[in-house]
Amino acid sequence: MANHTTVDYNAEKGSYYKVLFGLLALTALTFIQPSMFLTDMTFGVQLLIGAVKAWIILMYYMHLKGETLIGWTVVFAVFITAFFFGIVMIDVNNFQFADVSHITSPAQ
Amino acid sequence: MAHDSHDSHEYIPEIAVDRNGKEHVVQGWQGDFEGAKLGFWLFMLTEVLMFGAMFMTLSYYFTLHHAEFIKASSELDRVLGGVNTVVLLISALTMGLGLLKMRSGDVKGAKLMIWATILLALIFLGVKALEWSNDYKEGIFLGLSTMQAGGGKSFGELLFFGMYFTMTGLHGFHIIIGIGLMLWLLKRINSGKVSPEHHILHFNIALYWDLVHLIWVFVFPYFYMTGAGGAIHG
Repeated sequence: MANHTTVDYNAEKGSYYKVLFGLLALTALTFIQPSMFLTDMTFGVQLLIGAVKAWIILMYYMHLKGETLIGWTVVFAVFITAFFFGIVMIDVNNFQFADVSHITSPAQ
Repeated sequence: MAHDSHDSHEYIPEIAVDRNGKEHVVQGWQGDFEGAKLGFWLFMLTEVLMFGAMFMTLSYYFTLHHAEFIKASSELDRVLGGVNTVVLLISALTMGLGLLKMRSGDVKGAKLMIWATILLALIFLGVKALEWSNDYKEGIFLGLSTMQAGGGKSFGELLFFGMYFTMTGLHGFHIIIGIGLMLWLLKRINSGKVSPEHHILHFNIALYWDLVHLIWVFVFPYFYMTGAGGAIHG
């Protein structure tokens, strides 16, 4: 494997700054969204912006762009998490143990 | 620090000879860039699964106690949370540029960037400490009577703040670990064990720092922005 030292700092630093400005713009969007647009969907929109930021970080800062093996490993881990996330959400929608639960209000 | 060819930390490959008398370089961990990177990614995926489970729990509670979560979220200081978001964002840049400098052969520049990242990490912790102390003064902290059943807060709010302190606390712990790793990295750079030719440790610690940043990318909107704008539908 190459020792990864053949890098021209001045040529490559530009992409890091571009990513920074992109992430800053998305952070600004995070702040203005709740009072500017889609105000009745704040939670979903916020997570969508977060997902876009995460994708940018993974691809450019974490060098996943072009990494087939690691990329698919990440997809697998996220799939496992999302799969159980889905099961949990289905479970929530069919919650039947409010009377004996420690995660619902005692009054419920 | 200068390193000549007699430096005790110089990387000397081990040679193995096969049955035909042919010599092969034994791949040490310093030379196995891809293996070390893949191994570290597997570790990071366990972190993703751990925080993923916490986000699942948070979503579960959010679904059960929707309005109470939004009310509790609106009580958090979004300005301080936002400042920390920007601080962490810039620290990810300095860490990335530090790695780029190392790979381009500028060791001194790389060390400066690592120190800058450590400084930003300390600022993050300082802002977090300020935020938690403000929460404490307002009666929002684990163990306070106001945070017990019958202390004035609803059940959903108690769950929210329990998750808030657990997750931001665990994230803060990762920041502290990251500072320790960066100090260790500086020590190994100074001793010549990490160099432009063998920088996998630097690469993996930069990955770790990006993961810490990545987790905050979801922690921030989940806790701080859910209650922004006064929306009750989320």
